[in-house]
Amino acid sequence: MNDVATVSGELRELYVRDSAAIQQEFLATGDGRAAIARRTALVDSILLRLWSEIISSDPAGPAKFTLVATGGYGRGWLFPFSDIDILFLHAGSETEVILKDSIRRFSQELWDLRLKLSPATRTLAECERLDTNNVEFAISLLDCRYLAGDPELYQRLRDKTVPKLVARESHSLIQDLGEITRARHHKFGNTVFHLEPNVKDGPGGLRDYNVSGWLALISAMEKLGMWPETKTLLPVSSRRAMEAALDFQVSVRCFLHFRHGRHDNTLTWDAQDEAAARKIGVAYEDVSDAAGWMRVYFGHVRSVHRVCAQLMEEIPAAWSSLYRQFQGWRKKISSDDFSVVDGLVFLQQPTALQDPEKLLGLFHFIAEHGLKLSTTTEYKVEQALPALAATPPRGGELWLYLQETLVQPHAADALRAMNALHLLTLLLPELKGIEALVVRDFYHRYTVDEHSFLAIEHLHRLKESKSEWDQRFADLLAELEQPELLYLSLLLHDSGKATPGESHVDSSLVLTETCTERLDLDAEDRERVRFLVGSHLEMSVAMRRDVFDPMNVKTFAEKMGEPEHLKMLCLMTYADIKAVNPDAMTPWKADNLWQLYIASANYLNRSADERVHTGEDGAGVGQANLAHLHSLAPVAGKKINVFLEGLPQRYLRIHGATDVLAHAEMAAHLGQNGVQCSLKQARHWYELTMLTTDRPFLFASISGALAAWGMNIVKANAFSNAAGIVVDTFYFTDRFRTLEMNVQEWDRLKKSIADVVKGEADVARMLRDRLKSEKGGDTKVKIETQIAFDDQSSVHCTLVQVLTQDRPGLLYRMCSLISKHNCNIEIALIETEGQMAIDVFYLTSGGSKLNAREQTDLDRSLREELARQ
Amino acid sequence: MTKVEAIIQVSKLEAVKDALHEVGVEGMTVFEARGHGRQKGHTEFYRGREYTVDLIPKVKLEIVLGDEMVEKAVNAIATAARTGKIGDGKIFLSRIDEAIRIRNDERGESVL
Repeated sequence: MNDVATVSGELRELYVRDSAAIQQEFLATGDGRAAIARRTALVDSILLRLWSEIISSDPAGPAKFTLVATGGYGRGWLFPFSDIDILFLHAGSETEVILKDSIRRFSQELWDLRLKLSPATRTLAECERLDTNNVEFAISLLDCRYLAGDPELYQRLRDKTVPKLVARESHSLIQDLGEITRARHHKFGNTVFHLEPNVKDGPGGLRDYNVSGWLALISAMEKLGMWPETKTLLPVSSRRAMEAALDFQVSVRCFLHFRHGRHDNTLTWDAQDEAAARKIGVAYEDVSDAAGWMRVYFGHVRSVHRVCAQLMEEIPAAWSSLYRQFQGWRKKISSDDFSVVDGLVFLQQPTALQDPEKLLGLFHFIAEHGLKLSTTTEYKVEQALPALAATPPRGGELWLYLQETLVQPHAADALRAMNALHLLTLLLPELKGIEALVVRDFYHRYTVDEHSFLAIEHLHRLKESKSEWDQRFADLLAELEQPELLYLSLLLHDSGKATPGESHVDSSLVLTETCTERLDLDAEDRERVRFLVGSHLEMSVAMRRDVFDPMNVKTFAEKMGEPEHLKMLCLMTYADIKAVNPDAMTPWKADNLWQLYIASANYLNRSADERVHTGEDGAGVGQANLAHLHSLAPVAGKKINVFLEGLPQRYLRIHGATDVLAHAEMAAHLGQNGVQCSLKQARHWYELTMLTTDRPFLFASISGALAAWGMNIVKANAFSNAAGIVVDTFYFTDRFRTLEMNVQEWDRLKKSIADVVKGEADVARMLRDRLKSEKGGDTKVKIETQIAFDDQSSVHCTLVQVLTQDRPGLLYRMCSLISKHNCNIEIALIETEGQMAIDVFYLTSGGSKLNAREQTDLDRSLREELARQ
Repeated sequence: MTKVEAIIQVSKLEAVKDALHEVGVEGMTVFEARGHGRQKGHTEFYRGREYTVDLIPKVKLEIVLGDEMVEKAVNAIATAARTGKIGDGKIFLSRIDEAIRIRNDERGESVL
C-alpha cells in the first residue's frame, strides 16, 4: 500500500481539478444530467482508491463486508454540493469489530477531502428490519448500488433483503412516505407556485420526482416480490413529461449549486434572471425573460406534482379500514357521468367530454367533492379542448356553470385543475396574463394565479376553522346574498398585474369589464364585481389609518355605500391578505380588519337619515348619483328632483338608477291611484315596492299583509321624502311557493296589500287566520332579545335596534306596537340572518326624538311583546 | 450607540418613515404592537355583541443609531408622529454596548 497521506494529497488534487472541470463543462453545455453523472463517477473513483488503500487492496474484498452507495448517490445523482450517502454493510457483527478502525479512517479521509459524507453502518439483518424512526434509511436502500467489497453480500442485500423488506412493510413504507411528503408539501403551502421556489423540496421539485418513483417501485415490488423493470414504472401517459421535467430540474439544481457555491436549492429572483439569460434547461425553447423562463419552470414542476399527487392517491397510503371506508364513501359519490376510484375521477363514457356541458360539469363535480382527475380523464380533457376552443361557451350559460362551481367547497381545487389543463384561460382569457406569473415583491410568496385561487380557498375553509377570528368572518360569509360575485371578484382582482403600467387595479378593471360582459352578468351584478375589483385595496388602506377614528370610519363607510358592499369587501380583504403568505394575516391585522368592519357597519346603520338635497347647495354622496340620474333621464330632471328631495342618502346608496327612475315615475302617478305597488322576482327573493303618502301603521300594515300571505320578510327598507311620500321596499321569500305556482296570485297579492294600506281589509284578522293555521316552527338557535336606544347618531331621530328571534308576523307586531306608542317610523332597516332578526328603526314622536319616558315605555312594551311566542 | 424605540399611531408610520429617511436614517425594524397608556380602549357593539378593545393597535419602531444621529431622529419621529392628542405614543432611548454584523463579524458603529 502507498502512504495514505500521499494518496490523500493526490485525491484532493484530483477532486479539486475534476470538480472544476465538471463545472466548466456545465457552464459550456448546461447539461445537468452529464454533470451529476460525472460527479458520481469522480466520487466513485475516490472511494475505490481509498478502499484499496485503507480497507482492502482487492476491490472485491474483504469477505462479508461491502461498501454500498445509497440514496441520491446510489441513484447516480450527485449534485455539485449534495451529501454522499454510503452504507458500510456487514454480514454479521464479527466484521464490525475487526474493521471498526479502518472504517473510521476511511470516513475521516473523505471528510478531510471536504466531501459531505453521510455514512451508515448496518448488518444485513438490521437492513431487513424497518426502523419506524428512520424510514428514510429503508427508502434509501431502494437506490442501493454496489461500490466495493464482498459482491455476494451486496447481491444478498439487493436480491433478497430489500425485496423481502419491501414486500413485508410496503403498507407502512407507503404510508410513511405519504406522510413525510404531505408534511413537506404542507410546509410549502401545498402549492408549486412559489415566487422563489425550492427546486428540490418544494412541491413538484426533484424530491417529488423521486417520491413518484419510490411509490411506483414499492407497489410493483409488493406485487412481484422482486425488483421490477424501473423504466416502465411510471404511468405511460406521464413518462415523457416526467423525463422532460427531470432534465430541466437537474440542470436548474446544478446551476444553483454552482452559482451559490453551496448546497442551496432556492431559486431566488437573481438566480431566475441569470438562469433565463443563460437559458438553463431551455436551450431549444423561445424564452426571452425571467417571467417566461419561470413559466417553463412551473410547467415542469406542475407535471411532477400532478403525477406525485396522483400516485399518492392511487397507491393508497394506508389500506386501513378507515381509509377503505373513506374510499368507499368516495365511490358512492360517483354519478351517471363520472366514477370515483381511490379519490380519482374517471369518465363513465369515454366520449362524454365532447359535450361542453359534461366538460364543465366535471369541474363542478371536483369542486363539490374535492377530488382529483385521473391521468386518463386529464388526457380526455386535453383532447376535448381544441373543439371547445373553436366555439368556447360564453354568456349566461357559462356564468351559470362557473358560479355553481365557485360556491362549492373545493372550488379552488377545481380552478387549479382547470388552470393546469389551460381550460380556465380558454373560458376566461382575461386570466391568461397572470398564469404562473411571478410578480416580485417582498410580501407575496405565490404566483398571481395561485394567490387568487388561494384567496378563494381561504374563504371556503372559513367554515371549518376553529379560530375565533375566522369564525367571525365565516359568519359574515354565510350572510352574503351573492357569494359567487365575491369569488369571481377574487378571481379577477389581480388580473391586471400582467399589464405594464402604474396601477394594476385600473388594468384589472378593464379586464373585469370584458370578462363580466362575456359572462353576460346583469347590470347590478356587473357593477358589484366592478366595485369589488376596483376597491380591493381600499380597506387595507383604511386599516393603515386609525380604525377608531370616526372620520376615517365615515370616509371609508361612505365609499362602501351599502352594507352588502362592506361585507363583501371585508371578506375580500381578509382573503387577499391571507393569500399573500401564510404569516400575512396576523391576529393584529385580523382584529383591525374586524374593528373597521363593525365600526363601518354601525356607521351605515346610524347615518341612514342624512338627507338628499337636490338644490344647488346640496352636497354629499348623493350629488354624483343625482348627476348620473339626470344624465340618464334629462327630461325627467325636475320630476326626479321633487321625488328625491328629503329622501335619505341611504336610499340612493341601495337603489340603482333604474329603480330610482321607476320610483319617480310611480310617485308621479300617485295622483291617479294613491297606492302604487310593484312586485318583481329577483334571484334570491321577491321584491315588493310600495309608494304612497305617509300615514300611521303603514309599515306595520304592509309587513302584516305579507306575513298573512305566508311570506317571510328577510329585508326591508322604509324611507320618506320631503313631500311625505313613502317608499317602502320589502324583500321576501315565498315559503309556500304561492307566487311561483300561481301567476294570477301576483295581482291578488298586490291588490290585497293595497286594500290593507287603504284600510279596506283587516290585516289583524288576516294575520290571525294565517298564524292559527301554522304550527310553531322549531327553534334551532335560541336568540335572546336585545333592545338598544341611541339618541346620539341621528340629529332628528331616536334609533332603536332590536335583535330577536325571527318568527312569522314579527315585523307586524313590532311596527304595530311602535305605532301604538304614537311613534313614527321615519326609516326602517330590516335584516334577517338565519333565525335572528336585526331591525333598526329611526323613530320620531311628534316630529322630535323620543324623550326618556317614551323610550322607557316603548322598551317595556317591546320586551313584553317579544317575550310572547 | 443608542437604541431608539418609538411607539406611534399606525396612521403615522409612513410619515415617520419619510421623516427618518430625510434626516438620513435608512434602516429600521417595525413591529405590529398593541397597548395603551392614558388613552383607554374602545367599545363597539355589533349584532348584540360587545367588542371591547382594551389594547389599541400601534406600531413600534426600533432603530440603533450612532450618538450624533439620535437627536435628529428623535425630533423627526416626534414631529411626524405628533397630533397633539392622547395616544400619539412614546419614544424610549437606551444605551447599546456593541453591534455585530453577522455576515462578517464586524463590530462597532460602522455596522449600523
